[in-house]
Amino acid sequence: MGSRILTVEDDERIRTSVRLALEDEGYEVIEAESGEDALLAFGHDPADVVLIDIMLPGMDGFEVCRAIRKISDVPIVMVTARADTHDVVAGLEAGADDYLTKPHAPKELSARIRALLRRVRSTDAGSRQMVFGELEIIPDEGVVRVSAEDVHLTKTEFRLLVELASNAGRVFSREVLLDRVWGYGYFGDGRLVDVHIRRLRTKIEPDAANPRYVVTVRGLGYKLQA
Amino acid sequence: MRSRWERLGLRARVTFIFAFGGLLLSIVLSLTTLTFTRQNLLDQRDDTAFASFTSNGLDVQAQLTEDADQEAIDAIIESLSTSRGAFPLLRVDDIWTGRNSTRFDTDGVPDSLLSLVEADNAAAMRTTIDGVPAIISGIRLTNSSRDADYYEALFLDDVEDTLSSIGVVLVAASFATTLLAAALGAWAAGRALSPVGDVRRVAASLAAGELDTRLQAPADADLASLAASFNGMAQSLEDRIERDARFASEVSHELRSPLMTLSASVEVLNNNRDSMPERGQQALGLLNDDIQRFTQLVEDLLEISRFDVGTASLQSQPLHFVEFVRQAVTHSTRPDSLVVATPDVGDLVVSADKRRLAQVIANLIENADKYGSGGIEVQISTYGEAAILAIEDEGPGVAEAEREIIFDRFSRGSSGGRRGYDTGSGLGLSLVAEHVGLHGGRIWVEDRLDGNRGARFVITLPIGDPVGEDFE
Repeated sequence: MGSRILTVEDDERIRTSVRLALEDEGYEVIEAESGEDALLAFGHDPADVVLIDIMLPGMDGFEVCRAIRKISDVPIVMVTARADTHDVVAGLEAGADDYLTKPHAPKELSARIRALLRRVRSTDAGSRQMVFGELEIIPDEGVVRVSAEDVHLTKTEFRLLVELASNAGRVFSREVLLDRVWGYGYFGDGRLVDVHIRRLRTKIEPDAANPRYVVTVRGLGYKLQA
Repeated sequence: MRSRWERLGLRARVTFIFAFGGLLLSIVLSLTTLTFTRQNLLDQRDDTAFASFTSNGLDVQAQLTEDADQEAIDAIIESLSTSRGAFPLLRVDDIWTGRNSTRFDTDGVPDSLLSLVEADNAAAMRTTIDGVPAIISGIRLTNSSRDADYYEALFLDDVEDTLSSIGVVLVAASFATTLLAAALGAWAAGRALSPVGDVRRVAASLAAGELDTRLQAPADADLASLAASFNGMAQSLEDRIERDARFASEVSHELRSPLMTLSASVEVLNNNRDSMPERGQQALGLLNDDIQRFTQLVEDLLEISRFDVGTASLQSQPLHFVEFVRQAVTHSTRPDSLVVATPDVGDLVVSADKRRLAQVIANLIENADKYGSGGIEVQISTYGEAAILAIEDEGPGVAEAEREIIFDRFSRGSSGGRRGYDTGSGLGLSLVAEHVGLHGGRIWVEDRLDGNRGARFVITLPIGDPVGEDFE
């Protein structure tokens, strides 16, 4: 508790009401009414979670997301107009960890925030170092190395990788990954998994188009190839 | 009032008029041809007959001597040169001599001719002998030494034959002309009416929802203005429908910001519910419920306006059908023991949009819950190339008359004062129908199969490739 949340939203009334609701949940809320404000505030005093509305005057939500992603691996939640638009994929590709559609209940928002702030599950693997070829994962330290070089992953990407690695060779369906990494049930949005897998590959795979570690099992899901 | 004639249709009428005109014209022409030909042929035969008759009459008169006996008379008759179809007949005193008594003898000569000849007149008349038309000429051989008359019959059967052959040809020609005229009429009418056919096709396509269909501008100046105004009408129709659809979409979008504020603010109130007086708590309860309903309505409106604007798109993925339906039922806070699958379903995989299909099932269950008085069963089966999902309830069922309109937007069934089968927003079932349609499936409502009271909503989904699209 006491986590700091930066909300970027140009509508003052929404901002205020969301702040009130989140404060009731015990969060500390920092408000920003534009992307520029948000970056200033974040640079000044980084938050634990960032909530960004995509429709912003001036610098839009995607740009804000990319800008923050450059300097931090903080969990980012995008607020989009609709779930079935390209905005969702674009937001995830810009580096967001999750998304919500407007209007959403504050309870839903705090559930998302809680899920993102969860620590990496202490897996059966424990703190044991896991090695797959040139890929090296140390869960407790949050370290991933490829060819002995540190790779920078966001918290969600890291959780996803550890989840796959903890049971290397096993095929994880999207539903299982949604549940374990994001805390969603069967009806979570599979695109969350797909885009994160894509992002993960560009960071750890020698050739993202022909993955060596995180492979797709057609019709079933994904697995980490030992 | 429209006459039967007008009901025939322009094309049929033009064809008919052309055919009738062709027939009339060819009949007139045929009759004229026939009459003239006949007259001509007869005149010709008259001339021939008269020439032959005159020369033969003179011959007979010259050869008929006073002492000529019957044998000599026979010889005279035989010696006469007659044209084809001509038969001589000679009366000397009371004895008639002819060349061929079966074709022409005394009986063949009309009495009127006999009496004319008797009165010293040379005469010719047309008559029929044994049903065959003939010209019979007769003359009294006044300069002969004997009391004698000479007759000659010219049979016209060859003329009649010729005429009837011509007649047959003319009838055939009339028939052909009529057909030709009818074909010409149909073609001309078709040509003249082809723009009308184009207009009909385009109008039908517009009515079917292809709002960007337009008429091609015809080269004909008369029709170009018609096409232009028709296209103008289609354009303004399209603009208007699009404007309406966009309006609904924009309104719903605009409603989302205040709804966000409402929903967050009411949550703050909920957190402080215990410190409120009872009346305040009651009001808060109402507020909660209606914000939820309002949110649902806006969501549904937005969803449905995407179909209208044409931006609804399917995000299909392979779904294990039974598993999916069980999950969807559970998601609708109902036990998955409601789901009954026939053995043939097995581990059938369908390619579907998870979010949309889940909404379909949720709406149908909510609907059955609301109006179906309790017992719900969700049945899964297959039929040919389709996966079938049926939801049965124990409610009053849906009247035949309402089985179509129940899927219309904001339709409220009328029976028994109920609001009818529908979810809260009034859009639930129409959304279900849109989602199912987007998947290429069908939806309908019928009576329960077991004959018990209740409605049965059925949706079909095409069964795709078992593996379907890749996970990407």
